[in-house]
Amino acid sequence: MITVNPKANEVAAPLDLNNLTPEQTALEIDNLNLFYGEKQALNNISMKIPKGQVTAFIGPSGCGKSTLLRCINRMNDLVDTCSIQGDINLNGENIYGKHVDVAALRRKVGMVFQRPNPFPKSIYENVVYGLRITGEKNRRVLDEAVERSLKAAALWEEVKDRLHDSALGLSGGQQQRLVIARAIAIEPEVLLLDEPTSALDPISTLTIEELINDLKKQFTVVIVTHNMQQAARVSDQTAFMYMGDLIEYSDTNTLFTTPAKKKTEDYITGRYG
Amino acid sequence: MVLFTLILIFLYLLYVIKPIFESAEVEPVGEVLVKPGSVTLATGLDELKEVAYQVDEKGVMTFYQMSESEFRPQGSEILSEPLVDGEVELLVTSNSGRRLLTDTQGNVKVVSAKFTAIYPKDSRDITPSVDYPLGEDSLPIDEQEGRLVKAAFEMDDEKAIFVAYTEDKRLIKTTLVADDDFSYDSAFEPVYQEIEFTGDNVDDVLITPDLMMAIVRDGNRVFIYDLDDEFSVDLKAELTNVVADGAEITAMALLSGGSSVLIGDSQGQVSQWFEVAAKKGRQFQEIRRFTASTTEPVTAIYTELYRKSFFTLTPSGEMGIFYTTSDADLWHGHIAKAAPKAFAIAPRADALIFADGESLALMKVNNQHPEVTWKALWQEVWYEGYPEPDYIWQSTGGVDDFESKFSLVPISFGTMKAAAYAMLFAVPLALSAAIYTAYFMPPAMRKKVKPTIELMEALPTVILGFLAGLWLAPLIEDYLPAIMLLLIFLPIATFVTAFAWFKLPKEMKARIPEDWAPLILIPMLLLAGLLAFSLSPVMEDVFFGGDIRQYITNDLGISFDQRNALVVGIAMGFAVVPTIFSMAEDAIFSVPKHLTSGSLALGATPWQTLVKVVLLTASPGIFSAVMMGLGRAVGETMIVLMATGNTPIVDWSIFQGMRTLSANIAVEMPESEVGSSHYRILFLAAFVLFVFTFVFNTLAEFVRQRLREKYSSL
Repeated sequence: MITVNPKANEVAAPLDLNNLTPEQTALEIDNLNLFYGEKQALNNISMKIPKGQVTAFIGPSGCGKSTLLRCINRMNDLVDTCSIQGDINLNGENIYGKHVDVAALRRKVGMVFQRPNPFPKSIYENVVYGLRITGEKNRRVLDEAVERSLKAAALWEEVKDRLHDSALGLSGGQQQRLVIARAIAIEPEVLLLDEPTSALDPISTLTIEELINDLKKQFTVVIVTHNMQQAARVSDQTAFMYMGDLIEYSDTNTLFTTPAKKKTEDYITGRYG
Repeated sequence: MVLFTLILIFLYLLYVIKPIFESAEVEPVGEVLVKPGSVTLATGLDELKEVAYQVDEKGVMTFYQMSESEFRPQGSEILSEPLVDGEVELLVTSNSGRRLLTDTQGNVKVVSAKFTAIYPKDSRDITPSVDYPLGEDSLPIDEQEGRLVKAAFEMDDEKAIFVAYTEDKRLIKTTLVADDDFSYDSAFEPVYQEIEFTGDNVDDVLITPDLMMAIVRDGNRVFIYDLDDEFSVDLKAELTNVVADGAEITAMALLSGGSSVLIGDSQGQVSQWFEVAAKKGRQFQEIRRFTASTTEPVTAIYTELYRKSFFTLTPSGEMGIFYTTSDADLWHGHIAKAAPKAFAIAPRADALIFADGESLALMKVNNQHPEVTWKALWQEVWYEGYPEPDYIWQSTGGVDDFESKFSLVPISFGTMKAAAYAMLFAVPLALSAAIYTAYFMPPAMRKKVKPTIELMEALPTVILGFLAGLWLAPLIEDYLPAIMLLLIFLPIATFVTAFAWFKLPKEMKARIPEDWAPLILIPMLLLAGLLAFSLSPVMEDVFFGGDIRQYITNDLGISFDQRNALVVGIAMGFAVVPTIFSMAEDAIFSVPKHLTSGSLALGATPWQTLVKVVLLTASPGIFSAVMMGLGRAVGETMIVLMATGNTPIVDWSIFQGMRTLSANIAVEMPESEVGSSHYRILFLAAFVLFVFTFVFNTLAEFVRQRLREKYSSL
């Protein structure tokens, strides 16, 4: 049976996701429709993602959970045929507004991908990449950022003696933590994790999951996973998506124990997916 | 299999090249016994080494048959002919191998051994005879019928000149002029002249084969007389500092061609002198020195008929073989117990014959490529008649006594220069195109553009070559200012168009399909080109006084070739662009998308992502692409053949042509004699080209591996 993150329950009573105050809200998705060419991939999604918590998107393959995640830092802009209607508000400001600097947005909304993607540079240079592109040259600032980020990503102890070795020499799990360190080095507000453990072994997965629990102290975390146990273990809120629709969105405990919708129940009990 | 073929090619090249670096070999083959008691004054061989001859002290010329199949004595005497009545006073050999014999009354006779080949059935017979080019009668050389102590003689079709020193210390010149039908008549009246001579004695007299100069030696003083003036013989120059202090001149000879004088001294040194253009006109100058012996004086210097080789002899019978131009010391060894009195080099320089007691010793000489040495190929060489040492490639000339100049420096340099200018044109263009196509271009457009550029590679280079030589070269010559303007106009037009596109209202943009928007650059660039070409004559008038070619030549002092490095750079660059573009584009395009996404997700702009991640990751591929392009530019033949002018000069100027290794091989291989030095040096050029490309590719592969290790993506 699925075990629910005990800490998530202990910390506070579940938030009322439909009536979050602006202070509690990190992201507000408002009537979002997304098309790939003629085909509609997301149907009228509206949801609020609370600050400082872990929100998981689950659902069968092709349900649109990754697509929705990529909307949050506008990575879908890179797909030529993609068009978007609706708003996503970050701190009350529409990220699809006219004068939004996409690069600046992405510095506020970091992202970690399914496959570890360190650059072919040293560990050190990987972590400071985001700082370097903003023009940061101060050696002390960079050094501090490296130590802080690697510590936050629980990688410092393993790599502190070989910071200037190639990042490609790290194991898969280490690489993924390095990528997380790289993402948090620029201190984003929101951290998007797109199936961060799907390419990793169980032990690395566990390390990353523990890391996610720590990360929410500093960041709002949104995670996409096809692993329901993982969603149950790490998240505070879970959204279940199916065929581009947001079927159900509630606190993780409720969703996994007493789902409100038939489709959700079918999915979490393994009838399809 | 490929490697095996490469090794075979490599070995074959080495096999052909090897003989040019071998040193000379001398091998005794036997002796011809001469008449007992006779003293050999002169000896010689025919061209095919089948007949040897001897002239003895009685003036009898005797011919001996040699083995037909190989070079060794057979012993039979075939002809014996007395040349003079009575004793021979003096015997002198001219540069062309004719003999001058004098008697005690100052009468001379000129003889030469003549060999006629006849071919009865399937064999070849050499029939010797004695030829008297100035008639069979003795000629009186001295008006006063004095005894001649020293004499020299040279003749051509028009006249024969004798310079002699008599017992009563007169230096005389006697000229015989040929009839209209180029034959000499003994009845013809000689012209006698006396040369004003201030020295005490004459030790040596030489006349250059062009009948222009006489070189007279008195002890350590060497005087040059001008023989060209029919009416008076003037002292032209005196050589100074000929030998070191304490040394004495012991021998003198003219090198083949007659431009160089070789002077041997008592310390075993031989110096080469020739005329060099200086401020005060042409002056004799010491060019180089050879050491024939460290202990003994040089008693005699003998020179080859056709090549710039010379042989030295010392009193102990040690012989040295040298080649002047290449500064080569080819062979040393003892050939006899004492310096032979008579010594001759076979006409083809493949054998020696010399008097050794009562016999003529024969030696085989294997010295096929003395003119080629490492120094002659790669260092500056001072050739006869040149004002200073230089790198020169000049394999064939218009005259018989032309000396081939085989410096590989100008053609290797040309290869580098052509490749460098081509890369200067191709690398920025191809790499920018590759970056744009792989990274920024809409996919629909990329699908069309990439194959189109790759198709360019299939264009035969001979077409590019003749377009470059016959169309582009004259065009550039006529519109040179336009070419310079294009360098400025094209980037400006690009930026202006991009900026205008950026500022264009959305409604207008929407009308052009986004995928094909970059195409609007094309009319803009054409417009810029048109503008540059129409401004060209105006610029020429305003800035360059109406004619830029004259401006470059006269005001800037740069010589301008129509077929120059600029033309080659553009044409060969054009040929190299597809190679570099295709490989670099592949390398950039295959940078994993998750790396670019990773960078973009960190807030990097596309440009930052390109510079910091994409190019870095693609660097091994980009480097390979550039090196492949360079390899192609180095080996490219047709374009450089047709568009460079093929002038083997060492000059980086963009307005000068060049000759490359590949074009040189293509141009000269058909006209080179198989097995000759020229032929082997062309193979050496091929070998150098092979090494060039081999080094480039190995270096490229090595660096690529290193980069790949460092930047290999996941």
